[in-house]
Amino acid sequence: MIIPEYSLGLLVAFAAMGVAFFAMMRETDGFHRLLLTDLIEVVSLAFIALIGTDLAEALILPGLVVGTSELIALSEIYRIKEGYTRPPDAGLQIEVMESAPGILAALLVVYGIVLSGFSGGVVAGLGVLFYLLCRGHDERFELIETASGYSWALWIVAFFIFMILPQYWFFAVMLSGSAILVKVMAKMSLIGTMRGGPNA
Amino acid sequence: MPDIGGDPLFVLEFGDILHYYTPYTITLFLLALIFTGLAIASRPERQIDIAFGGDAYYAKETTVSEMRFRRFMAIACGLATLGAMGSGDLFNFTLFVSLVGIANIGIVAAVKNRHVLDAAYEYGIVAMVATLPLFGGAALVVATTGTLAIPALAAGGFAVPLVAKAFLALGVIGEGMAPFYAAKAEMFRAPGAPYVIMCSLSSLLIFLRVVEIVITI
Repeated sequence: MIIPEYSLGLLVAFAAMGVAFFAMMRETDGFHRLLLTDLIEVVSLAFIALIGTDLAEALILPGLVVGTSELIALSEIYRIKEGYTRPPDAGLQIEVMESAPGILAALLVVYGIVLSGFSGGVVAGLGVLFYLLCRGHDERFELIETASGYSWALWIVAFFIFMILPQYWFFAVMLSGSAILVKVMAKMSLIGTMRGGPNA
Repeated sequence: MPDIGGDPLFVLEFGDILHYYTPYTITLFLLALIFTGLAIASRPERQIDIAFGGDAYYAKETTVSEMRFRRFMAIACGLATLGAMGSGDLFNFTLFVSLVGIANIGIVAAVKNRHVLDAAYEYGIVAMVATLPLFGGAALVVATTGTLAIPALAAGGFAVPLVAKAFLALGVIGEGMAPFYAAKAEMFRAPGAPYVIMCSLSSLLIFLRVVEIVITI
């Protein structure tokens, strides 16, 4: 007898859910509970991923965003309520981290722009992330955020062009491709600045 | 077919994704709209403490930045509730509900007080855990029926599994736990008032909506 793949996956997901909830029930330390909620988030993404169609991909992204934003909000609450205000360290002092970032970041950003779209944004964002991680960050975060916000708006505009004026689809493709490139790159580059400090 | 919402008054379609209002949901929508307006217009409550052993009392001031943040979160919560009332797509509904949860975390956590932050943290963990049944329920519905549109599901012909409905209800219960935690930190008396009312209202409204959805589909 062959068990259908979806049912098998569902079985595994339900088992994982049981394990995660059992762990949540047993754990009493606040910080470890926060870490365990991430386990539960992953199971909920697995439920969506089991659909296994293009729709699943479209549904996973908002699910992931919701989980991440709640995790960030809760970590911030935990940090404030426990009063953790340790000043950031100077970071690693390695020679490679002085010379390599410029070249690697430039290569990755150029290749990302060539790729364009979501994957291009990830590649270019990786370059910027690496640069910020190695060289420190005295950047203006409002600028990065503003660029990200405007490009998101352009992405939405492109979607409206798809729906209302389908004959201009090529323009909309170009617009959404470049806008999502900038947006993903800007968002990812922020990870490179997560080392504490006055702006972080 | 149980139809507790009545005939749709207005339907806005974006392909498969749609928004609609029935006499039932428009009532909930208007209620959320009125309270969002009240949250915009109202000023924060001042907590009055009596100095022990004397006639003196002092009023705690709320700083402008803190007031702005709370008001912003209350408005965001109201907007998310408005979206959850009008959405005709099951997954959009779950997203709006989790947005209500995030905004509620913000409303509760805006008060810089150890007890309140403890309560906000506990609620946040419940809200995060609740996203599992919420998204899991929507995912089970789309996997078994192939559609997320509530009118299509309500039209019949689909066997929506009971576990999916239970998951949806369970998820909304988790996200709607905010008033319990706000009450635990005694926020209704002063520190969070009046914006903390949005917690109660949004929880009530998403409960009422999910009951309608679960019975209809």
